[in-house]
Order: sequence, then C-alpha cells, then structure tokens
Amino acid sequence: MRFRRSAPRALIVVAALVIAVLTFAANRLFGGMTSAVEQSQVELMRSIIAFNLEGAAANALARAEMTASDPLVRELLARQDRAGLLAHTQAMFNEQRDKYGVDQAQFHLAPATSFLRLQSPALFGDDLSRFRPIVVAVNRERVARKGVALARTGPGVFGVAPIRDMAGNHVGSVEFGMDFGALLDRLKAAYGLELTLFIDEAPLRAYANGMPPGAITEQNRLGTTVRLHSTNWTLMRDLVNADDLRVHDEPRDWVRDAGGVPYGVVLYPLRSGSGEVLGAIAVARSFAPTRGAAGRTDVLQWLFALLGFLVLAGAAVIVIRGWLVRPLEAITGRFATIGDGERPEPDPDDRFLAEEMKALAAEHERLAELVEAKRT
Amino acid sequence: MRWLAALMLALLAAATAQAQAPAVPLAPAAPPAPAAAPPPPVLTQLPLDSGLPVVVRAGLGFVDIEGVDENEEAFAATVDVRLSWIDLRLRYPAEETPIGYREWRGDEATAQLARMWSPQIGLANLRGEPTRQSRSLRVYPDGRVELLRRVAGSFAAPLDVRSFPFDRQALRVELVSERETADKVTLDYRQDDLLFSRPDPGIAIGGWTVGAVNLVREPLAGWYGESYARITAALEVDRRAIETVPALFVPLLASLLIPLLATWLNRSNNGEFEIEAFELTNIIIGGLFAVIALNFTINSDRSILASGLNTISLLFALNYVALALALAINVSLYRFNVVRAVAGRHVQHETFRFIIWALPVAIAGTALALILIAAA
Repeated sequence: MRFRRSAPRALIVVAALVIAVLTFAANRLFGGMTSAVEQSQVELMRSIIAFNLEGAAANALARAEMTASDPLVRELLARQDRAGLLAHTQAMFNEQRDKYGVDQAQFHLAPATSFLRLQSPALFGDDLSRFRPIVVAVNRERVARKGVALARTGPGVFGVAPIRDMAGNHVGSVEFGMDFGALLDRLKAAYGLELTLFIDEAPLRAYANGMPPGAITEQNRLGTTVRLHSTNWTLMRDLVNADDLRVHDEPRDWVRDAGGVPYGVVLYPLRSGSGEVLGAIAVARSFAPTRGAAGRTDVLQWLFALLGFLVLAGAAVIVIRGWLVRPLEAITGRFATIGDGERPEPDPDDRFLAEEMKALAAEHERLAELVEAKRT
Repeated sequence: MRWLAALMLALLAAATAQAQAPAVPLAPAAPPAPAAAPPPPVLTQLPLDSGLPVVVRAGLGFVDIEGVDENEEAFAATVDVRLSWIDLRLRYPAEETPIGYREWRGDEATAQLARMWSPQIGLANLRGEPTRQSRSLRVYPDGRVELLRRVAGSFAAPLDVRSFPFDRQALRVELVSERETADKVTLDYRQDDLLFSRPDPGIAIGGWTVGAVNLVREPLAGWYGESYARITAALEVDRRAIETVPALFVPLLASLLIPLLATWLNRSNNGEFEIEAFELTNIIIGGLFAVIALNFTINSDRSILASGLNTISLLFALNYVALALALAINVSLYRFNVVRAVAGRHVQHETFRFIIWALPVAIAGTALALILIAAA
C-alpha cells in the first residue's frame, strides 16, 4: 500500500459517498415535495368535479322547483293537457338549452310515467320506474331530489321536483337535466382541464334507447364503457385505456405521459341516486410544470454535487500529495545521498515546508554535515 | 273640374283617415301612420331576444401553415374561423329552405352581413392585412347564424425558447370581440367547436411536429374596468431537437475543447512548466475569436436565441467561462507561478495535475447539465 495513492483515494471515496448520499436524500426530499404538490392537484381536480356536479344538480333542481311552482304548469299537468304544456314551456326550454346547457326537461305523471319530454315531444307515455329511481322516489315521497341519472335520451345531471295541482294534490313531477357535455366544456374553459365522459355500455343500451344514432359505436367503445363526450379525445385516448376503466366504482388517479408530457389523471365514478355505478369522468391536467421543475432541480443538485466533489477531491489530493507526500519524497531522496560525497543543492522551496517537514529537512542537513565532517 | 274633384276626394280621404286614427295630441302635424303595419325590426342592432350577453360560439381550424419565422416570432397560416350565434329576429319557416339553411358566399355574404347584426370578432394578432380572405354565411330556420371566414396571413406568435431545443411552442390565433364588451357579447365553445378546431392532417412544418389545437378563454381588459371576450386557439408544435444538433450543438461543444487543450498541452516537471505560457495563451485567444465568430453566426441565423436565457446562450456562456478559466490558469499558473509563489513547487505540481482532469470533468458535467435541464 502506498500512502501517496491510498490516502487520497480513501478521502475521495468517503467524500464521494457522503456527497452522493446527501444528494440522493435531497433528491428524495424534493421528489416528496413534488409528489405532495401533485397530490394536492389531484385532490383539487376531484373537488372541482364533485363541486361542479353538485352545482349542476342544484341548478337543475332550482329550475325544476321554479317550474313546479308555476300555476299554469300545475293546472296544465293536472288536466293532462300535453299540447298546452308544450306550448307554455317550449320557448323557455329552448332558451335554457341554448344558453345554459339544459339538455333535458320532462314532466311525469305519478308514479313514474313520462308525460312530456320537451327535448323530444313525440316520446311520451313510457314507464320510467325501471331505470329512473329518482323519479319514482320523488313521486312516492313527494320531496324534491337531485343526482346523476341515465335517462332515455342520455345521461344527465338531474333535479326532480314534485308538482301539485291548485288544490294541493300530488299529480306528478318535473325534471330538468343538465348536459354533461356543456358542463365538461365549461370546466375545460374555466380550469384548463381535459375531460372525458364514459358511460357503462350495458345500462346505456338497456335504458338510453332515445339517444341520437351514432353515440354507441365501436369507435366510441372503450372496455365496458362508451365514450359520450370528450374535450380532447386525441389526448385522452393516450391517458385512459380499457384496463383503467375495468373497475371504476372508486375514485382513482395516476400519472401517464401523452406526447412526451406527463399528465395527472383522475377517474371520478358517476353513481345514480340509488348508488348504482353509471360510468366515470376522466379528468386530466398537465403535470409538466411540477415534473419539469423537479427534473431541473435533480439535474442542478447532481451538478452541484459533482462540483462539490471536485473541490473536495482537489483539496484532498493537493494537501496530501503537495504538502506531505512529495516533500517527504524529496527529503527522503536527500537522505539517500548521504555518504555519496555529493550534497544536493539547497532547495529554495523548503521555506514553504510545514514545520514538521522543516525539522526533517534540518535533520538531513545535520546528518549530512556530520558525515562530511567525519570524512574530512 | 277634374282638378277640383281630385282635391275634394283627397280632402275626403284625409278626413276619413283622421277620423279612424287614434288621437295623437303631441304630434298633430305628423302624417298618419300606415294602418296596422309595425315598423320593420332594426336587424343591425344587438339581438336582445335571448338576453345578454349574446353567446357567440367560436372555433378555429388550421388549414395550412406555410412556415414559422422564429426570428420574427410569427407564422404564416391559413385558418378557418367559425362563429355561430342565435338571432331570433332572423327565424323563418323551415319549408322555405329545402336544404335546411340560407347561404351567402363572398360579396353576397358581405352584403347580407351589412343588413344584419354580426359580432365584430377580429384576429388580434394578425400582422397587417390578410393575404386572402373569403366568407360564407348561413342562417338556419331557428335563427342560428353561422359565419365562416377563411383568412390567410401572418400571425404574431411569441415564442419561448428557454428550453430550446426541446421546446414546445403554441402558434396562437387570438379572436377578440372588438366592438361589444364582454357583458354584451361573450365568446364560448362547445364540443362541436372543439372538433372543428383542429389542424388539417396534411399540415407539415419543417423542423416541427404538429400537435393538437387548444382553445382557451382569456378576457381582454378594456377601459373603465370593462373587458372584451377573447378566445385563443393555439396549435401546439414540438421542435424536432435532433435536427439542431449538427448546426448548433456540435460546434458549441467542440469549441469547449479549445480551452481544455490550452490547459492540457502543458507539462509539469516537478512543479516546473515546460511550455511557455504565451504559446498556450495564443490558443486561448484564437479560441475566443472562434467562439465570438460562432456566436455572431448563430445570433445572425437565429436572433431569437440571442436574447434571454436558453440552452444555446448558456452554452456560449460556458464557452466564455471555460476560456476565462483557461486564461486565468495560463497567466497565473504557467506564467507567474502563483501557486508556487504561495505554497511551493510541490503544491503547484499537484495543483496542475488536479486541474488537467478536474477542469474537463467540470466543464463536461456543466454542459451535460445545461442540456438535461432544457430537456427536463
């Protein structure tokens, strides 16, 4: 073992290990902070969806209750005057549809028979009790309710209010359904989120037979669901696949790349008033800012670690070899000349020697003079 | 006699009309109004039948991108702007149009637009006048109006090259309501507008990969706290980084070898340097001119990279720092032996040996880090 090599090597290895461990720990720390920020983003996305679904349901219910309190509506429904009811409410519905994303409006007769669909006036008279539990509940309990439901003309966020005739007798109910598409488009405009609505194919085929043709196609099928609306399907098809949708009865989230950009994705299940899972909304948001910042921080940390290592390694090498090993080798060489009859020239750089080295050099001088004195 | 008879008939008719018309005491001199004919609606005024604000739905499709001028921060493109709104005053019986709408094109569309209200939506970032422009106007029986404009021109597009060459740019076209404030006219989009807003599949831009179109609502601040509706349609394009390597990164990284050569070429014999400093300094000065020339060439070709922090400007900075370090080493170590004067030749020898491996490692590590930071 040569001290000249092994001592600096030992110090350099220790310095490298310490710096690597510290840098790795710092990276993990920053990685944890990035994850925490992203998790808060995921929570925010989930809250945005939940809050807006709740808001849409409240809006639908408000419209339903206002309509249910209209005396003429009460009178027309009590008389079962379909034409009169249509004439009275059609213009209102058209304006609500065009301006506020109201997709469906329907009057029911108790217990759950469709009386008039303003979006499809020709479709009426069918029994809703099999797939519209909210309508059944409202007509049974005579209390207003709201929630997500799958109607004959498609899914929506509904508010249902009971209607009484002028004498106070329960005659039926009215519902307003907010369009999912308009809701998702507004969320994209307001928050920059990308959203896609997936509805389970089985209930869609069973109940929603009044939907426009072309909605349930092979192109729109993904696993057991059908894509009914997307703000950016080109992007979302890279972020959500059939496996992700196989189980969607609980909120889930993941991070996936699309086009080289990382996205946080939240799958938010949609349940009907009776708790049945109808589908899910997938929400995506770019995580490029957090991931980019984390990546840049990682690179900078490793660069600083490298520069720090170079400084420490340089200090170790220069101090050990420059102040200890090389002077020692030089003085050892001088000792080797004792008795050869040739005394080495005085080294002017001896003034830079450490005190311990100076003592050794002085000892060489003393011994060399003694040997020379004995010779002479 | 004939003249007298005509006068008497006229007086009789006037007296009869005055007797039938309601009394208008404040305007006795006004001529009698035509019987039961309401004044024609002023169609050029803002439609108020559906309330305010009038919702104008907007979509923008990219038909072609002729080129991206990075130095001018502009791109030449042909875009289709689709605006639609509802004006109930324009409703007509559906039987009047077997094809489902009334349509005007070119000058006829311009003439028709002069007779009705239309939102004044401008392309805010269009530079100068459009090189080509055509219009089509459709009015549907329910009062829905669809205005389609095809515009070719040069659009300003601020580019962010901080992460060059791994950057993603947004080629933006801004639609702004220029006349009415946001409380009168608002811009919005729905699913079919999102589907309309896409690049033509045949678009190819040299050096770039075409992505998707993103619509964002961003109100524009006006006077007195007012705002104007604005929608930005941004076509995302990714730079093909590999194409920048031969022209930019090879010379930039190669020039980093010049200061390293000027350091490596010397040799230390027990702390004494064997090559004169001025010979090595000549290499450094030559390298400085080479880097300046390269800097000038790149800045002339890509002036956008000349200002602000980006990978190229940082690599140039690294080149200058490396040259400065090499010059400092030459002058202080090789010419004036500063380390020897302070700590002796043994320390100088070890310092030199440290520098010849540590300096390349530090410079290569920093260059790699700058590239990785851009890619993060």
